[in-house]
Amino acid sequence: MKKYPIANIMHHTLRLWFALSLAALLNGPLLADDSDSVHFAREVLPILSNKCFVCHGPDTQDADQLRLDSYENATTDRGGYRAIDPSTPSSSAILERIFSSDSPMPPADAERQLTDAERAKLKQWVLDGGKYIRHWAFVTPTRTTPPRYRQSTHENPIDLFIRDGLRNAGTDFAAEADARTLARRVALTVTGLPPEPAELQQFLTDRQPNAYERYVDRMLSKPQFGEHQARYWLDAVRYGDTHGLHLDNRRGIYPYRDWVIRAMNDNLPVDQFITWQLAGDLLPSPTLDQLVATGFVRMNPSTSEGGALPEEFQAKNNFDRTENLGSALLGMTLTCARCHTHKYDPISQTEYYQLLAFFNSTAEPSMDGNKYEYGPTAKVPRDIGTWQQWQQLVGQRDAASLADGRRSAAGAPNNGNAHGEQSAEQLANRIAEIEKTFTTTLVAKELDTPRPTHLLRRGEYNLPVGEPLQPGVLSAMSPFPPDAPRNRLGLAQWLVADDHPVVTRVLVNRMWQQVFGAGLVRTPEDFGLQGQQPTHPELLDWLAVELRESGWDRKQMLRLLLTSRTFKQRSVWRQGLDDPENRLWARGPRYRLDAEVIRDIGLWASGLLDSHMGGEGVKPYQPSGMWLAMAHPASNTKKYERDTDGRIYRRSIYVYWKRTCPHPMMTLFDAPDRESSCVARSRTNTSLQSLALFNETMRVEMARVMADRLLVDVPTDSERIGRMFELVAGRSPSDAERVAMERLLAVQRERYGQHIDDAEALLSVGDAKRNERLDVVDQAAWSQVVATFLASDIALLMY
Amino acid sequence: MQNRNDHNRNVQLEYHNMLTRRQLFGRTALGVGTAALAGLLHDDMVLAEAHSPNSLSLGPHYPPKANRVIYLFMSGGPSQHDMWDYKPKLQEMSGQQLPDHVRDGQRITGMTANQKNGLPLAPSKYKFTKYENHDRGVWVSSLLPNTARVVKELCVVHTTFTEAINHDPAITYIQTGSQVPGRPSLGAWLSYGLGSANENLPRYVVMHARSNFAEQSLFNRLWGTGFMPSDHQGVLLRSEGDPVLYLNSPPGVTRGDRRAQLDALAALNHLQHDQFNDPEVLARIRQHEMAYRMQASVPELMDLSTESEQTFALYGDDARVPGTFAACCLNARRLAERGVRNIQIFHRGWDAHNNLPAEHESQCKDIDQACAALITDLKQRGMLEDTLVVWGGEFGRTVYCQGNLTAANYGRDHHPRCFTIWMAGGGVKAGITYGQTDDYGYNIVDAHGETLRPQPTKDVWTPGTMHIHDLNATILHLLGIDHKRLTYRYQGRDFRLTDVHGHVMHDLIA
Repeated sequence: MKKYPIANIMHHTLRLWFALSLAALLNGPLLADDSDSVHFAREVLPILSNKCFVCHGPDTQDADQLRLDSYENATTDRGGYRAIDPSTPSSSAILERIFSSDSPMPPADAERQLTDAERAKLKQWVLDGGKYIRHWAFVTPTRTTPPRYRQSTHENPIDLFIRDGLRNAGTDFAAEADARTLARRVALTVTGLPPEPAELQQFLTDRQPNAYERYVDRMLSKPQFGEHQARYWLDAVRYGDTHGLHLDNRRGIYPYRDWVIRAMNDNLPVDQFITWQLAGDLLPSPTLDQLVATGFVRMNPSTSEGGALPEEFQAKNNFDRTENLGSALLGMTLTCARCHTHKYDPISQTEYYQLLAFFNSTAEPSMDGNKYEYGPTAKVPRDIGTWQQWQQLVGQRDAASLADGRRSAAGAPNNGNAHGEQSAEQLANRIAEIEKTFTTTLVAKELDTPRPTHLLRRGEYNLPVGEPLQPGVLSAMSPFPPDAPRNRLGLAQWLVADDHPVVTRVLVNRMWQQVFGAGLVRTPEDFGLQGQQPTHPELLDWLAVELRESGWDRKQMLRLLLTSRTFKQRSVWRQGLDDPENRLWARGPRYRLDAEVIRDIGLWASGLLDSHMGGEGVKPYQPSGMWLAMAHPASNTKKYERDTDGRIYRRSIYVYWKRTCPHPMMTLFDAPDRESSCVARSRTNTSLQSLALFNETMRVEMARVMADRLLVDVPTDSERIGRMFELVAGRSPSDAERVAMERLLAVQRERYGQHIDDAEALLSVGDAKRNERLDVVDQAAWSQVVATFLASDIALLMY
Repeated sequence: MQNRNDHNRNVQLEYHNMLTRRQLFGRTALGVGTAALAGLLHDDMVLAEAHSPNSLSLGPHYPPKANRVIYLFMSGGPSQHDMWDYKPKLQEMSGQQLPDHVRDGQRITGMTANQKNGLPLAPSKYKFTKYENHDRGVWVSSLLPNTARVVKELCVVHTTFTEAINHDPAITYIQTGSQVPGRPSLGAWLSYGLGSANENLPRYVVMHARSNFAEQSLFNRLWGTGFMPSDHQGVLLRSEGDPVLYLNSPPGVTRGDRRAQLDALAALNHLQHDQFNDPEVLARIRQHEMAYRMQASVPELMDLSTESEQTFALYGDDARVPGTFAACCLNARRLAERGVRNIQIFHRGWDAHNNLPAEHESQCKDIDQACAALITDLKQRGMLEDTLVVWGGEFGRTVYCQGNLTAANYGRDHHPRCFTIWMAGGGVKAGITYGQTDDYGYNIVDAHGETLRPQPTKDVWTPGTMHIHDLNATILHLLGIDHKRLTYRYQGRDFRLTDVHGHVMHDLIA
């Protein structure tokens, strides 16, 4: 097998990239140029950060102490010697110390020691002059022309970047996956469901140019798009249907979840998507949508525990919001800076509290009173259909009143009903009817007089230090926009400003991660000094600029990714290529699907899926006693009372999310608890998942209902196996797969033929009535076959 | 029954097994690449670690003294005043106000900060007896007659402390090292560090024991994984429904049926593997097989019919009733025998704000005989020496009364400054009493009675005290893990259970 160090392959491209994109931003003595043999940002800074900053980093307290995070400090004369001596690099003290056996650095008892390779890197860097450049993620991305762009303008720019890396590794793209596989891949990526058979057929028979692009667009326009895409954002903002702490009572905020779905479907530009959530209430004459979006600000877990103090939780809630902003949009842990200046990243404790100050003046009490509504709320439609209906009627009313106004002005009589339109009165009545059914949702509102914010020593709520702080942003990233107000609206303007270096990178990286199963930056939660370098830095930056220049168009960005050759490759692990993590992107995406998608595929394939959109969280089957065994006796979520109507078959995004005990079919398959931000789920394979796949009530029910469907719709066993594969995998079974299924069917048919009672018992699982015109033995045997198929990697995986 | 030599050999064997694994990780590309190894090694642990960005930190770091831990968690905060920390001088001070110099600026919860009767001292109504141990002896109240009989096995620490004063933050703190949700639990860290010694049972098992006063909530996060891969989360062993979630096949599906299904499934998946060369496919096939084995091993585990009458006499008749603390303890011993290394029982109902005597009498009745039985049972089977047993809650209770103080009844609020926990077996010193508190049981004091104000800093440890980080560091140490080296990188930081704190309590280690 051919082996090569990936770092070296990327090296050349990286140097080129830095030379092109950073040169203009850096001053003379700091610039590491192309002639340097070690790359500072990629090779040296991570060593300094990981091994030295713990004592010689941004949080160094003692003014005399050496700091290695700054060129100025590292080259300061310390009484006859310098850590780094730019005039005679070989006499730099740092070299002596890292190779010293008497007084080594790091000290002999330090937890992290340098490796020989790292010493060699540092040595080379110092001998080259010890120059610094800024950490890549804090430099505003600029668009680099993709390699060979001029020669191949018809190609997707993504592929030009990726191909460059592949060529350097002596390889090329994998072959394109077959059309059926691609159809399933696109549909699952975009909507979280397989394509409808008609959609698949339409795509397969479309012989016109750009059939694939048209298919992608069709998927992007389905309402299921929003239901799937919203999930990722809800993980990042820790959306839940309960308060999260202590009693963990119900919380009225699901209209926010519905708003996220609608915003995705409406393709609300991402900059507005961010602005509305952070500061919709501060926009001029905010719409109801803009208010609902501020549920984002209210998403922190909350408590009303007897002994807790309001000041304590005013602080804790703000910590949570500030750090969530860090995780969801800044790609950075800010938690360290709560108690002390960040060890690795250039974030001071003061800046942390200045950032926190933006959130410190919201009007709700810091304790939730264990109430469904607490603090400011808005009255809103109770599900997505009602939203649409209400919006349409209000639109009509406003248009009519505008027209009336014009007619009155022209002196014409007011007879709006003349053209078969609804009368103003009818419209008003219908609107009033809908508004009677409105529910409430938590929203943000600013106090008239802001609360003063202080730096808190060690992060203790009762240890304020110094004068009140002005709200402010992280200076390492970009300056606060000069004209922006010092409130959440200004904060949002900073985040979406043209020169913000991090937000667009973080967002396109997560889009890439959704589409390809892993990010260009493999630490999506950390773009700081301790995070990983992007696999393709120029590509990340190109995409980041593209996001902004496309008008923050989420669907356009996804379309770009989905139509790349990189995405369309076969996902077979390639022989002779030692790249298990797929850092070269030399194969298509392949990963175990998320909890929600696994469940939704089963519901969809069986025909049980209830497509109703939005509304209060639904409660499907759950083993008895799970909540009771843990809940406070005074909690209003101590008893799980499952829904008994068709709501249990709604898509998983609507499953009720009790933060201290989410549904086990979610958590067993790596869904987070939503008590804190999650921007990348783990993907585990466990025996408990196997038990759940085969034994959980709804899994069994899906299997037997899908079996009924096959028995009714398809005449022969052979064709039924074919249909089962067609539905879930979008393809026909291979001979070997067919044999495996037929064998199981035969064995089970014989078994249930001899044990009708067992067949009947199996067919009684779940609420759905069995089709009594069918033969129980057939039903039970087929149910077992479907259950097995739905638990196989053919159904569980993206490929 | 295991003799001492067997025991030592087993400890060594486990150590070498893991050492081998560690070296392997050390040399291998991290990330999904490690998953490929799982296919070769037939070890579910490898796969789990495939997701770990810092596998080098895997334990054990040195030969462990304990092979497993059974943690008896008393949720709500048991009263040290009424069980362990005897304060005879208080008897004469009943009803007097807590002196300010004793409180010394301590934060008091909103529940008692403004009560009309102030902070009246409430001596325990229970009789204390001094029992011999291998040290200065230990006082135990009449609430714990059975536990009192095994004090020669216990290491009783009177000076455990925390900063958190409310349940949710405090229990989250002691279980995850942080007062705010989002970090992996102690059990998840152990799962990450220790792996599994049994292919047929989960590696980290959690039980919820029944209580008559099930106040205060438990949260998934207490046995959850935070930012770690979710296969390190505790698996609930339940007394209601399936003992392990979704363990039982649906009605009408026999073991033979499931076998046929899994064979067909393996055929489909092997075909996938042939096509895609993806090593994770093989890992999933193995997990399906382990699930199949669990369907047999868990019922066998839960079947107490093979237990002798002597055993039930030891644990009490409660042990026959599923879900009682006694039944959980017996299950814990059975799990330990079967190679599960990481077992935790949560017993709720210790949050006695108003009717402490009635509540604690009931609570102690739940646990007393079973605690003693577990120690005795493990000892008889030669398992105590490599099984660490820990007993304790998230904080202690106040010396002053919450609500009305009468001779018969009183309540106590939350007290973080000192509380009692005990450990046994697994390499801790048997029969010692550690640390002391002042005459009010309010502050930790040194041997001369001088008040100590210990801080949980990494650099300074105050002898005679045990912060909850110190407790967790010590638990990890006994299991062969250096709490400073067991790290998991997330958001650019190498996280530890003990944050930047924690001191291994060598004073407590045999």
